[in-house]
Amino acid sequence: MANKKSGKVLVLGGGITGVQAALDLAALGYYVYLVEKKASIGGVMAQLDKTFPTNDCSI
Amino acid sequence: MEAGRSPNIEIITLAELKELSGKPGNFKAKIHVKPRYVDPNKCTSCGMCMTYCPKEVVDEYNERLTFTKAARIDYAQAVPTVYYLDEKECLRLQHESCQLCANVCGPNAIFFDQQPEERELHVGAVVLALGFGRVPEEVLEKYGYGKYPDVLTSLELERMTCASGPTEGEVLRPSDFTHPQRIAFLQCVGSRDVTCGNGYCSSVCCMYAMKEASVVKEHLPEAEIDLFFMDIRTQGKGFDEAFNRAVEKYGFRTIYARVPRVDQVGRKLALTYVTEDGRTHRDFYDMVVLSVGLDAPAGAEELAKRLGVELNHYGFAQTKVATPLETNVPGIFVAGAFQGPKDIPESVVQAQGVAAKCSELLAEVRGQDAVHKEFPPEDEELEREEARIGVFVCHCGVNIAGVVDVKEVARYAATLPGVVYTEDVLYSCSQDTLNELVKKIKENRLNRVVIAACSPRTHEPLFQETLREAGLNPALIEMANIRDQCAWVHAEDPEAATQKAKDQVRMAVAKAKRLTPLELQKVSVTPSALVIGGGAAGLQAALSVAEQGFEVYLVEKEAELGGNLRRVTGLLSGEDPQKILKDLITKVEEHPRIKVFTGTTVENVSGYVGNFTSTLRKEEGSEVINHGVVILATGGREHRPDRYGLGANERVITQLDLEAELKGKAGKLARARSVVMIQCVGSRGDDLNYCSKLCCQQAVKNALRIKKRYPKKDVYILFRDMRTYGFSEDAYREARNSGVIFLRYKPEAKPELVQKGKAQFVKVYDALLGEELLIPADLLVLSVGIAPGENEELSKVIKAPLTGDGFFLEAHVKLMPVELPVEGVYVCGLAHGPKPLDETLAQARAAAAKAAIPLAKGFVEVAPIVSRVDQKKCIGCGICAELCPFGAIEMVKVGKRKKAQTITASCKGCGICASHCPVLAISMGGFTDEAILAQIEAFGAFVEKELEKEKAGEEAA
Amino acid sequence: MSFEPKILSFFCHWCCYAAADSAGVARYQYPPNNRVIRVMCTGRIDPRFILEAFYVGADGVLVGG
Repeated sequence: MANKKSGKVLVLGGGITGVQAALDLAALGYYVYLVEKKASIGGVMAQLDKTFPTNDCSI
Repeated sequence: MEAGRSPNIEIITLAELKELSGKPGNFKAKIHVKPRYVDPNKCTSCGMCMTYCPKEVVDEYNERLTFTKAARIDYAQAVPTVYYLDEKECLRLQHESCQLCANVCGPNAIFFDQQPEERELHVGAVVLALGFGRVPEEVLEKYGYGKYPDVLTSLELERMTCASGPTEGEVLRPSDFTHPQRIAFLQCVGSRDVTCGNGYCSSVCCMYAMKEASVVKEHLPEAEIDLFFMDIRTQGKGFDEAFNRAVEKYGFRTIYARVPRVDQVGRKLALTYVTEDGRTHRDFYDMVVLSVGLDAPAGAEELAKRLGVELNHYGFAQTKVATPLETNVPGIFVAGAFQGPKDIPESVVQAQGVAAKCSELLAEVRGQDAVHKEFPPEDEELEREEARIGVFVCHCGVNIAGVVDVKEVARYAATLPGVVYTEDVLYSCSQDTLNELVKKIKENRLNRVVIAACSPRTHEPLFQETLREAGLNPALIEMANIRDQCAWVHAEDPEAATQKAKDQVRMAVAKAKRLTPLELQKVSVTPSALVIGGGAAGLQAALSVAEQGFEVYLVEKEAELGGNLRRVTGLLSGEDPQKILKDLITKVEEHPRIKVFTGTTVENVSGYVGNFTSTLRKEEGSEVINHGVVILATGGREHRPDRYGLGANERVITQLDLEAELKGKAGKLARARSVVMIQCVGSRGDDLNYCSKLCCQQAVKNALRIKKRYPKKDVYILFRDMRTYGFSEDAYREARNSGVIFLRYKPEAKPELVQKGKAQFVKVYDALLGEELLIPADLLVLSVGIAPGENEELSKVIKAPLTGDGFFLEAHVKLMPVELPVEGVYVCGLAHGPKPLDETLAQARAAAAKAAIPLAKGFVEVAPIVSRVDQKKCIGCGICAELCPFGAIEMVKVGKRKKAQTITASCKGCGICASHCPVLAISMGGFTDEAILAQIEAFGAFVEKELEKEKAGEEAA
Repeated sequence: MSFEPKILSFFCHWCCYAAADSAGVARYQYPPNNRVIRVMCTGRIDPRFILEAFYVGADGVLVGG
């Protein structure tokens, strides 16, 4: 294991950026550790009621 | 937000990175994981622990506006959907005094003795997506926050307007719980403010303020809302339009003023401010909302130090224009707000871009550590037998059973035709019950399953997987939602809820009888990409796809590569744009997997995701290529309007012309003593309806370059709103400090060009002086904006719609910013909309990531909900093909007649085709006419029963 | 006895069905008069379905999308 390249990626931060990066990396064939310091992922976006300009629900 | 289900994403919450060693491709990361005190494998998220937890705690998720419990989940849709104990607040963990939660927890998921854990992970790359932090409260105190209860932050208001928030969507003054009549939004709180150390613009507040104001107005139509701006910075794609629409619709007042402080006078909040005409105003409001900016993320500094990652002077990750996703440490990448304040679409773009970046680095080991699940073969014989339906009715702890008589529902289900097995289960989704389910299916030879539990939206995939484990086709399950849409919403009427549950179960059983196995279709993919456009975006996208290991055809219509970037001669960051371009071109031209076609146009694109065929037309003939995906990077062009004598008057040039001057001898510039720049010429409502996003930065950049080379020359910038968002605000400030004069003009009083003898002047109204000024303009530089390229032709060829402004329309403005509604086609750069170079390069990588997904997989998997045309019945009318919003039906020749045919790979299963087919030739997987009609018929039984009841009631009376 | 309409609802998987789930998560209470059929898009709804619903005795049909 010491010298072999790893096909895993560590993503720090479980907000919309981290989640999206994790999803795309997984879809591209990599194993992802999504590390978040809070108890759930989602970040600030999960706190938003609606989003500009389409006022779509954010969750 | 559905990352929870991928087998290749391991979510580690309550965790932090402690140490990182190694090199790109081969890092060792030490992670510290704090205990959750709840076993995620056992927790069924029933919420009993939270209900019984006696310890109230201030709710941070709701911006401290309400209370929650020490045992909690932050919000109902949280992922992972597992409760946790707040270590700092829990009575048991702090004082050893309570264990109510453990007593009431049905599945015994609570463990007070859980210990922190250290994990060592072996990874190839690291992505820092730390987000943003909060502006310190001291900064907000200046505006009365904390002192006057009716001064709120924007995020507090956000929670308040949320229907599931602390006030259930009511906008109330915290001081007296009345509805505010007059509300003020103060922009740039904690942004564009050197006194608090945040000199940058947070780039998102103008938009969210407008959104919040609009939402408030929906709640309180009577409210009067004023918004105080320094500049209105709605530079994103379509944002200006949305902003103006909102102002018009809701009658907001927008005021250019920076409010320095807020005072409380009686029950009102007083704002004193000076407008640009120099007048002082004092107005009273019932509520003041602070549009708080984005700070650098908390803890980033310490983490950066540990990793050796460089931060900029504001504490965000330091990146370059050429490499917006890379930190100074190889193998450690950055994306999102931590790279600089940005909104959701920009964050998503960077997230996708950073995925491409990792994928380039790790291309050789792609798939090596990915997990694949194997399933036993399907028992086709059993599937063909007459329906043997098993019904499983879930208690969901007390969530369903507390209201609905679950046993009665199960008893009732057993009487329904086709049902051979029924059972009520405590938690249908827990792992051991799922294992039991597999056993029961096999033992009882079930070939259709009905789960009466929660929502198929969240749980159907789980049960489908279970069916596959049991050797059944995943399409043979139907769910009856007796929790979210029954027990939870009819809690006060158990009898009616039980009746509804029975009816939904009967309808589900009726549908289940008519379910048929559906094949998960796989279509193989040609592992190559066609990139159209050889500018910065196309070059970067091509390079990224090629680096990820796939063949690329890069097509440029001009004779040489480079596009618009060829004309840019300087960047605010000090990087040389020509070097960036040259590096890209060299890498592309030398890349073994990229084939460059210059002087070539794309004539015809046919096919669908995974299998496109295109004709490339060159002067000397054409060539047909096969490819799996398409990336549109067709760019835009400088808008050269017929205004201010541009083209005729040689002392009137554009910013791009000026870039050439600044690079070369600067003849015109050298002769001019006074240079005037006018922003938004032809933009934001004239020839172009939109803001071109980069002109303000470009003007400031060029003004600074002039000042550097010719300190004595006067430079004026006449603008509507200076949109130097993000860190380019620093350059704006620098320009002001170095003597560049900025003057705001109003769209209704545009600057005019005046000739007096040989001299040339610009006449403009100055609000502060209250009079018209005549400014010498020996050289007039117009910021002319970016017009769309010739997208129309291509849009028709690819069947991808354009926006009203002529740029390609993305599939979802927020979450799918580089995907088009047509699958397998992606967009980046100016073809998507005007944007500066760093954003173009990030977006090019994002498009490359999305494009590489089907290529990496090697096949496209199609959910079996797609439509199917019975060509014997089809009369070839073509209504379906015309109506399909995804271009997923084509008309093909079968024998002598035209027939419709579904392009399975593009179909989304919406069923518009099926509902419009005049001869009922189209059926939808899982949603056939027969199945839906059976459901309707089963609904009819409910009606009959009700009628009987009524009759009985009447007779009794 | 007052009139209690019997309603058949067709909900779009992506929006209205999701909203009905959210109503549950938020524990909103509403009258138990409706029964729900989930479709992937309200575009799937053939006018025949609505007629059929009335035919079998629905007092109202709610299309939520």
